[in-house]
Amino acid sequence: MLTRRQALAGLGGAAIVGFSRLPMAGEALAQAPAKGGVLRVAAPFNPSTLDPITGGLGSDHMLLYPLFDTLVDFEPQTLAPKPGLATSWDFPDPKTLTFTLREGVRFHDGEPMDAQAVKAHIDRARTDPRSAVRGELQSIEAVEVLAPNKVALKLSRPDTALPLIMADRAGMITSPKAVAERGRQFDRESVGTGPFKLERWNDNDTVVMVRNPDYWNKGLPHLDGLTFRIITDVNTALRSVIAGENHFVFRLNPQQKLVADRMAGKVVVSSTPTIADYHLLFNYKRTPLNDVRVRQAVNWALDRDGFNRAALMGLGVPAQTMLPPGYWAHDPSVDGFYKHDPDKARALLKEAGFANGVDLRFYGYSDQASQQRHEIIIEQLRQSGIRCAMTVGSSADMYQRFTVQGEGDMLLALWSGRPDPSQPFALVYGENGFNNVGKVPPPPEMAQAQIDSQSAVDAETRKKAFAKLERLSLEHALSGELAFVPGIEAYSPNVVGYVPNLLGKPKLNTLSLKA
Amino acid sequence: MSMRTLLLVGSRLVQVVPVLVLATLAIFGLLQLVPGDPAAVIAGETATAERIAQIRQMLGLDLPVWQQYLHWLSGAVRGDLSTSLITGVPVLEEVLRRLPNTLLIVFMALALSVAIGVPLGILAATNVDGRIDRLVTSTASLGVAVPNFWMGMILVGFFALGLGWFPTTGAASLTQEPLRALHHATLPACALALSGIAEITRQLRSALIDVLSSQYVRTLHAKGLPQSKILWRHGLKNVSLTLLTVVGLVFNRTLGATVAIEAVFAIPGTGSLVVASATNKDFPVVQGVVFVLVLIVIACNLLIDLLYAALDPRMSRR
Repeated sequence: MLTRRQALAGLGGAAIVGFSRLPMAGEALAQAPAKGGVLRVAAPFNPSTLDPITGGLGSDHMLLYPLFDTLVDFEPQTLAPKPGLATSWDFPDPKTLTFTLREGVRFHDGEPMDAQAVKAHIDRARTDPRSAVRGELQSIEAVEVLAPNKVALKLSRPDTALPLIMADRAGMITSPKAVAERGRQFDRESVGTGPFKLERWNDNDTVVMVRNPDYWNKGLPHLDGLTFRIITDVNTALRSVIAGENHFVFRLNPQQKLVADRMAGKVVVSSTPTIADYHLLFNYKRTPLNDVRVRQAVNWALDRDGFNRAALMGLGVPAQTMLPPGYWAHDPSVDGFYKHDPDKARALLKEAGFANGVDLRFYGYSDQASQQRHEIIIEQLRQSGIRCAMTVGSSADMYQRFTVQGEGDMLLALWSGRPDPSQPFALVYGENGFNNVGKVPPPPEMAQAQIDSQSAVDAETRKKAFAKLERLSLEHALSGELAFVPGIEAYSPNVVGYVPNLLGKPKLNTLSLKA
Repeated sequence: MSMRTLLLVGSRLVQVVPVLVLATLAIFGLLQLVPGDPAAVIAGETATAERIAQIRQMLGLDLPVWQQYLHWLSGAVRGDLSTSLITGVPVLEEVLRRLPNTLLIVFMALALSVAIGVPLGILAATNVDGRIDRLVTSTASLGVAVPNFWMGMILVGFFALGLGWFPTTGAASLTQEPLRALHHATLPACALALSGIAEITRQLRSALIDVLSSQYVRTLHAKGLPQSKILWRHGLKNVSLTLLTVVGLVFNRTLGATVAIEAVFAIPGTGSLVVASATNKDFPVVQGVVFVLVLIVIACNLLIDLLYAALDPRMSRR
């Protein structure tokens, strides 16, 4: 089993990636991975769509990765970019980004994956009204084909977040021919270049994928196919793996890790840190959270260690900002910025004119695990004189009521993380950020740091900008970050080659099954 | 078939219409009360208000509620159960694909309930207040009290994970792989059968005790008929109507109980479909499932009525 400490050590830099998984790597080197077999995976959700551009669920990725290659790939444990369908990329000037494409790659429908295809794909992603990734591609003004294997993105402003944005949904290149032919049906019958081809999708039941025999990366995939069985009850899903009916289950909750650990020999359990964290989103357009002192009071009132122990069985990592400790863009000097201090919280409330405490309308989701998290938070805040009136509902509904309709003062949500560290700050605190509910402009120095983080190409300059963003977001208490969640997966002992990633979205492309 | 039987069938078929309308109307109304917006689900995590409004318009969710219902009803009357708001798949196709999985565990549970409940009921009734009777009745009370999904987990823990005799999840097609389908259905059917067994045992016991203590049975005893003949010839014949009623009730209840059992065993049936669709407020799918299940329940009740008439000549003479 991969422990948290081992994985955190792996976060230090790309150079030591892999050391934390030495036993498995050694195993893989000793004998070539076995060929064949169908890996059966218990998936917790029916995918929203299987078109990376139109789908909107964070849990879709596990089904998209096998079907689509991304333009840019990432190192699993550091999220540093590495070549994907693009063998290299470059900023000849701050407002131009060029990609050199891998040659000889074909989509599952036989069409060539070339500069024309990439242009058609990116144009669809940034303009189609149904696109869920338009917001991430706003800096792109035009896409130009320079050569059959070379495209240039013309930008309206410098945007160094783009390479890693292309490691996510936006960079999962789809076949333009299939998109044109199938129209809306492409949602359900998508065509990519990945190691597996989509065979069929029965809603809330199964998604069947078969090996792509013409995959560009010779030697992959090892498996003959992947079958996802949609099992919405995570306990049932875990039982199916323990019984050997399925090989792999992901997104287990910490309580289930204890169950799975007792089944040593029948399942292997992997628990590693991710960049996904629970946070309290604030609506700071109106009273009382428009007062920075009230927001700071909430932050001092939170006991992050307590939350991690009670809600995540201590398997998570307490959070100060949306960047986890050990991550390349994180500034260690902000660790411990807010400690649990109810007296300080009360003093700040008094200063803000709430000597008798303050009332907040707290929004959240209605599933049992969420309710437990709410209770912990409500009790922590109560001890500092912050009283919460709770409203719960389905996640899609409550999220929409809070972010779009502007209801409530505070929402507990899971920030699922993004490959590039500039994205969380833009999406959560930016003036047009989706999670900046009141669309209140961030402080000017923060807006500047955001621009710096997206215009610098070299890592050192970017790191300085992120340090500034982290510190300013804490000083202005723009959200209440609680804890990074562990990514917990369980799999049969005959599954070989699993490497968890910091994004917390398992990639199954290189797995094999021992005979 | 007599004229009376035809009349019975005819009147039942006429009743189908108001029952269907009331049932779907009630479900539709309840779904309106539940918070949630399918448009928000479709639009995804980073949707704008405009995008959601656009989807609502596309799906007709911006129309007044009564218009949405009438629109759905006018389609349903013509056999068009519409398509899922979330996936766009035709509802009827989806329901029919999943229905066999649900019906298999329901019928298997029903068969187990009868096969186990009837002998236990007879055993208890012929040993009134004896040790066997007390054991059977107290076990039956427990069977009614224990939730079936909990029983399901216990069965999985013991027979699937512990002994490895049965699979923990899933289903197979009865027509393509009959043995595997039965193998998969065994544990969920056992969990579902628990309350049915208990119900049948208790009802049969009390009905049989009533009959066996009646005056004509005393006469039969006086005539010198052996106990076994009294029981099989006269006793059971007279409780068969009670049994039929209970079986009908058990069937309807078991059909409803599949919602929880299908989640525990990850069975792709109509129960899990209705849960998934209700969470997303995908009302055409929920309506479609309810529509088909109501039809099945009505058909079941009609069958019971016909059997009544066959078993009890008084019914068709009335």
